[in-house]
Amino acid sequence: MSNPEIAEQPITSMANSILTSRRFWLILAAIVISLLPMIFTDSYWRTNLIVCAINVMLAIGLDFIIGYAGQLNLGQSAFYGIGAYVSTLLITKLGVPFWIAFGCGVLLSGIAGMLLSLFGVRLRGHYLAIASLGFAVITYQILLNWISLTQGPLGIYAIPPPPALRLAGLPIIEFSNLANLFYLTAGFALLIYVLLDQLVRSPIGETLTAIREDEVSAASLGINCQKWKVFAFAIGSSIAGAAGCFYASFVGTLVPDAFFITESFTILAMVIVGGMGTLIGPVFGAILLTVLPELLRGIGDLRLIVYGVAVTLVVLFMPGGMVQAARLTAARVRRVVRGAGTEATT
Amino acid sequence: MTADTLSTKNSPYPSTDAAVLFRAEGLHKSFGGVRAVRDISLAIPAGTVFAIIGPNGAGKSTLLNLMSGIYQPDAGSMVFDGIDLVGLPAHRRVRYGLARTFQKIRLFKQLSVIDNVVAGFHIHHDIPAWQYVLHGSAFRRDHARCRDEAEKLLAFIGLDKRAHLLAGSLSYGEQRMLEIARALATTPRLLLVDEPAAGLNAAEVETLLDRVGMLRVQGVTVVVVEHNMDLVMKVADRVLVMDYGQYLFEGSRAEVQAHPAVIAAYLGADFQ
Repeated sequence: MSNPEIAEQPITSMANSILTSRRFWLILAAIVISLLPMIFTDSYWRTNLIVCAINVMLAIGLDFIIGYAGQLNLGQSAFYGIGAYVSTLLITKLGVPFWIAFGCGVLLSGIAGMLLSLFGVRLRGHYLAIASLGFAVITYQILLNWISLTQGPLGIYAIPPPPALRLAGLPIIEFSNLANLFYLTAGFALLIYVLLDQLVRSPIGETLTAIREDEVSAASLGINCQKWKVFAFAIGSSIAGAAGCFYASFVGTLVPDAFFITESFTILAMVIVGGMGTLIGPVFGAILLTVLPELLRGIGDLRLIVYGVAVTLVVLFMPGGMVQAARLTAARVRRVVRGAGTEATT
Repeated sequence: MTADTLSTKNSPYPSTDAAVLFRAEGLHKSFGGVRAVRDISLAIPAGTVFAIIGPNGAGKSTLLNLMSGIYQPDAGSMVFDGIDLVGLPAHRRVRYGLARTFQKIRLFKQLSVIDNVVAGFHIHHDIPAWQYVLHGSAFRRDHARCRDEAEKLLAFIGLDKRAHLLAGSLSYGEQRMLEIARALATTPRLLLVDEPAAGLNAAEVETLLDRVGMLRVQGVTVVVVEHNMDLVMKVADRVLVMDYGQYLFEGSRAEVQAHPAVIAAYLGADFQ
């Protein structure tokens, strides 16, 4: 009985070590990103690809706050909007260079996240959810009604794309090209993913998980829960801010409706459908929930119903999201393979 | 209310005693109209096992929560090795060497057994900030050291075989022992354990007693809140008896067993 297992072990362990090697997956992700605009050559799908990359950023940023630190944040749409409006206003009103405006947008949405967390520090669970939702509503109303600054529902138009990368005065990479803009946003999303992945695999990941699981217990181990919650909010909201900057420069127009509170719930749905508390889950959740409505366009308004039913079914029957589904499937396949192996030898 | 004005009749040790690791004077804590802890003073000598006993609702757990910083006292003083603890939040006290377990088990149930212990190393990580994002050699050294020490702690409490199970899947007694290992990961000088024997079978209680004894030999001062008299009589150097939130008696095991007020509180006898 033990013989075939011994013989098989080196092969499976080699396969396992490749599959669990993060460098392998990183290279694969980079290859897939570089191939995608070549496969999808029309501007419609390239636009969707960029939206995917932006949504991936929003989802993993939110997952860091909700899935790891366990703080029910429904204010992600506000941080997204702050990043978009701050960078755009700096560019269009003050003529600030794109990347400096980008940095300011990221910084300000991060600070907004820290402030929300500081004010809500005694709030937990549903109460924090309501407080952050309130923050999202207030931010939306400010964007809508501060007409002298944001032009309210009229919107801001003709926002330039990120400036071309130049070498010796010559533009090398133009970001008015959708493929290049996709490389920029997807590359950024990949970079954020890798950095977050490193962060959650460090003791900081353990600390945040401890806070998510039991704050009193975490404090009994010397963890300053307040400080780390503010930290989680700062990171998660500045990522949303970065997504907002890219969104503004990609769409070229800004209206407050893009940052209505429903956006918070859409991002939350991406995190839940993908699998909360894993970083890879929300990536696929974001891609699925961005692409699915587009694929369903053929059936008209029925698509909203199909979309809603699909999300509900996932939450009801697969609370761990796509990641849990994948793990269960992998375990089943392994069992079948092992069963076939032992049958063959007997 | 200051320490000077308090009566010292409850404190068996003179205030200059250098061997006292933890001293509390005149602690009060009320919840609404319920006075959970009333004028409790205690002095815990370093390197001893100090038991706090009393019937249900005597205020033992509240006293422990005051000591560990989950609650702040309404009045009174607490000094741990020269450090004034009043006003200090729970997480800061851990850094001074004060750790605890919980009566109602509070493990991180979704984490593995070993990760629960590793989480206890929070205050001992030695990694430059940038290496949290770009894992370098200091990160790997720290990671290996934490795993190594966590395994040693698991071996100490007899859970080394279960290191990779989810904490929530352990038996009740194992979960209690894991809480102790997790608290030990903070390298405390004073360990507060709240009803460690609740729900344990006889063999597990023996292991527990043995480990508490070993900790004492290693120089860890242990405070045990318990209402299991048998256990207390086997392990404690000194015993504080509480009833209705108040000081009833403090002394050695033998003194406690012989004291009529203690017997009355436990057996309800009319000792007058």
